[in-house]
Amino acid sequence: MIEYIDVHKAFDRPVLSGVSLTVETGETLSILGPSGTGKSVLLKTTNGLLVPDRGDVRIDGQSVSNSDGGALGGIRRKVGYVFQYAALFDSMNVFENVVTGLPDGEAKRARSPEVLGKVCDALEDVNLDPAVVLRKLPSELSGGMRKRVGLARAIVGRPEILLYDEPVTGLDPVNTATISRLILEIRDRTHVTSVVVTHDVEQALEISDRLALLTHGKLRFVGTPGEFRASADPVVRAFADRRAAAEAALQLVEEEDKEIEEES
Amino acid sequence: MKTLARRTVLALLCRLGRTAGTVARHAGEMTLLAFRVAAATLTGRVALRDVLIQLQSIGVGSIPLVAVTAILSGVVTSQQGGYQFTSSIPLYVLGSVVTSSIILELGPVMTSFVLIGRVGARITAELGTMKVSEQIDALHSLGRDPVCVLAAPRIIAGTISMPLLVGLADFIGVFAGLVAARFSIGLGADSFLFGARLYWHSWDLLYSITKGFVFGFIIPLISVHMGFGTRGGAEGVGRATTSAVVLMIITVLVLDATFPPLFLN
Repeated sequence: MIEYIDVHKAFDRPVLSGVSLTVETGETLSILGPSGTGKSVLLKTTNGLLVPDRGDVRIDGQSVSNSDGGALGGIRRKVGYVFQYAALFDSMNVFENVVTGLPDGEAKRARSPEVLGKVCDALEDVNLDPAVVLRKLPSELSGGMRKRVGLARAIVGRPEILLYDEPVTGLDPVNTATISRLILEIRDRTHVTSVVVTHDVEQALEISDRLALLTHGKLRFVGTPGEFRASADPVVRAFADRRAAAEAALQLVEEEDKEIEEES
Repeated sequence: MKTLARRTVLALLCRLGRTAGTVARHAGEMTLLAFRVAAATLTGRVALRDVLIQLQSIGVGSIPLVAVTAILSGVVTSQQGGYQFTSSIPLYVLGSVVTSSIILELGPVMTSFVLIGRVGARITAELGTMKVSEQIDALHSLGRDPVCVLAAPRIIAGTISMPLLVGLADFIGVFAGLVAARFSIGLGADSFLFGARLYWHSWDLLYSITKGFVFGFIIPLISVHMGFGTRGGAEGVGRATTSAVVLMIITVLVLDATFPPLFLN
């Protein structure tokens, strides 16, 4: 279980302003929201890549924000992170990249058949043929393949939690559908807890048990896909039915921006 | 007029204060990085394989350029010295001038500049690119410490390689000076070596190697620190690399200036 407790984070300006949210074990929760509203920042507080200025993030009751060294390392081994642009290591081939997702002890035995088997299994889990991609460098792969290698690296250590940062951004509809299907397959097979940050509402509605909408650093909506579709909130409707409600939402957001500017 | 002068002074003071603040911040962060590298090394968390890869890249890979630089330094010093020694000064003194210039100053400093251009800039650009493309975040999220995986191998390799490169540059530079003296002013090898021995201090070589050790530690330390601090895409990588090169050159020259009063008095 992941608990976000009154999370505040500011850089040049406040990004997260008191986000409280619980993600139950085995649940898939998607976080939606306009660009620059703090979705990725919230995701990065989950495994300690960013530390909240105030508040706390807990995984199975253990504080991430107050952990360091070995304790934080233990938490991070429970959590797989799929980066927006895969963040594969340029100088390593696919095999070496995926091996880094294994615990240190296993990664050091990279040449053992057992480790090779785990890497091949992870690649097959994301519909990649190990015989074709294993020795390729990231620069030799397409965008969709890189994302899938990033996903293989995240799941090879069998994490209990998977964090997806914009998993389908920049992908064509076929690759988008492939990634969505993979997220569902991995969830069904491993019962992993997933948090997905995405702009793609259709994907979020398809893969999520619940959705959260973040605006101006605060949660505006948390609920099931059904509740999301039925919401009367114009901003939620703008996301659920973009064309019909975008104009109304834009007007509302501009008014809110003005109010915030006046307050600050 | 008075107000304008006061504003100008205040603006200068503000700028000076900001610069001092930035220097203090960088110095503090680099000290912390150095401690973390030392801790990672002493607790055996740095892979020998990573260090060997960096030794090959930083040390062995720099030999050709260091050799060319040392040859040219030796030849130029010898020729310019020979040009000045055309009056009553005995020509064999040129041996001492060339040897001392190369070993005390040109060997370590020119080798440092080679390392800054060839290695330091590359490290900052490489780590900066890793930072902006979230590869460093990926290391963190995979439970790997970038200090152990990226920083320590480069700093260890620089600290080991540089004194050896300086020793090599000293030897090649003096030899090139000897050859150039023969061809430019007709000074024989025996006379050159006689002059070199006449004013030779045995600790000069240790002084040179010590400079190499210090510069070999500080150059990768600065470049790693600047790489880790990179922000904002390709432009940010370019900015960080330029800043790193400037900072490395200034630091090496300042440290170089502190050596004579500390060790030669």
